[in-house]
Amino acid sequence: MLVFDQVDYHYRREHPVLQQLSFEIHQGEFISIIGGNGSGKSTLAKLMNGLLQPREGQVKLEHLNTLNPDDLGRIRERVGLVFQNPDDQFITTSVLDEVVFGLENLRVPRDEMAHRVNKALQAVHMEDYAKAMPHQLSGGQKQRVAIAAVVAMEPSIMIFDEATSMLDPQGRRDILDVMHTLHQQGLTIIHITHHMEEILSADRVLLLSKGEMAFDGPPSALFSSVSITEHQLTLPFAVRLHQALGINAPLCVDWKETITSLWTMS
Amino acid sequence: MDYELNDVSVRINGEEILESISCTLQEGKWISIIGQTGAGKSTFAQVIKGLIPFYRGKYTHNRQPLPRDGKGKMKIVPQIGYVFQYPEHQIFESTVYKELTFAPKMKGESPERLEVALKMVMGQIGLSEKLLQENPFQLSGGLKRLVAIASVLIAEPELLILDEPTAGLDPVNRIALLKQLKAWQREKKRTVLFISHQLEDVAEYSDEVMIFKKGRLLAHLDANELFLQRTALMEQAGLPLPEPIQLLRMIEALSGRILEPASCREEDIMQQVRLAWQSRGLQNEG
Repeated sequence: MLVFDQVDYHYRREHPVLQQLSFEIHQGEFISIIGGNGSGKSTLAKLMNGLLQPREGQVKLEHLNTLNPDDLGRIRERVGLVFQNPDDQFITTSVLDEVVFGLENLRVPRDEMAHRVNKALQAVHMEDYAKAMPHQLSGGQKQRVAIAAVVAMEPSIMIFDEATSMLDPQGRRDILDVMHTLHQQGLTIIHITHHMEEILSADRVLLLSKGEMAFDGPPSALFSSVSITEHQLTLPFAVRLHQALGINAPLCVDWKETITSLWTMS
Repeated sequence: MDYELNDVSVRINGEEILESISCTLQEGKWISIIGQTGAGKSTFAQVIKGLIPFYRGKYTHNRQPLPRDGKGKMKIVPQIGYVFQYPEHQIFESTVYKELTFAPKMKGESPERLEVALKMVMGQIGLSEKLLQENPFQLSGGLKRLVAIASVLIAEPELLILDEPTAGLDPVNRIALLKQLKAWQREKKRTVLFISHQLEDVAEYSDEVMIFKKGRLLAHLDANELFLQRTALMEQAGLPLPEPIQLLRMIEALSGRILEPASCREEDIMQQVRLAWQSRGLQNEG
């Protein structure tokens, strides 16, 4: 379990970024984090894996604490981060080297390394590209390699910080599929996004607003309890459609199912 | 001020990146460029700006060839503004104020005109004056992007290239920015080349759409024609249809009727869909 206990963070004292933030994330949850620009989402992600430490309060992963320098290595092994721009993450010259790099730093034995690399590349469907160089890959493929490099380190939590925002529609779909596959395998997934359509399939949504938690609950409850536009967000297409057609049926992840069933019922 | 490419091809490291591109970019149009990653969209935009040379074909501005340097290489086209995919790649000053005023100062604008231009562009983009003394590198990704766009707009380009300008912006800022850019483009009758993976935005704001596939220009056509009549082109390019268009197609299939929205914009589509939805019970009874 990942626990935020009354966490404050600022880069400059006069501009608090996160204030008195307390929440828990349980193993195996699929969480979407949303909020306007500057609401503190990326700062929150960096606090989760100890890249940043709270100014006040504490961030704990079970018995480990990001304020304890001796715990940081183990926290970063267990909480993986995937960023927005795949080019920023590629540091070696081939797909294989990229996935191996983190494992070498962890001094994983050779036999186990080969097993983990194969498993990670299979998880993102990139096993046929092991020898490919970065310039031979599309943005979506590079992002999948970045994910494989994190998966190989066998984290229990994976944070995707707007990892789909630079990708074409197919690349985006592929990354979302990978996220859901990893979730089914038992990983905790934390997905930071501006694409409101992507939050509908999450177990839980956290809405950050000016560094505070404005909503914490299932996506179906978000739109009835919060005025989304006040938080620099818009309604996903499925919700706009429900409103435009006066549909009272529960919100379904796939609006096409709702439309077909209601049309044929009438 | 039309820009015209005739049979232009680009080769990088022996690989054909753009092949036989012919097109005209007309004054006062919002032209969106779509295609899968690696289709050649950004390369095309960089050729237009004069950043990437072509080995075959012709590129003219108002029927005149673009200026070349002493070695015969095409120069960068100064009247074209370019907002790159990653704003960090073009920001270099220590404050937002210095970043925004760099280009007008280089052009020798008077302090009075500079202040007027600065105020206007900040209003157009929705940037707060409080940010002027901030270090642009310490701003959030979304704000960096707005600063990069404002620093290009202040130079009053006659053609503006926007390479994924809304990636990283929250939805409200994204829509506000696109509306402001659309208003700027219409009011000043400028041309915008808009590269985007957000197909809903493409359907909402474009006059024309250019579809790229594997370095070739698959089609260059009116946005309404593409999204309402020739959607097979999207499939051919490996792209999904925007959700409102998917809805339109679905309602047409369910009702067995062709719906004719006024445009491919969501509001117009929803109006037609709502009418069909309201009459569905009657139709099923009939």
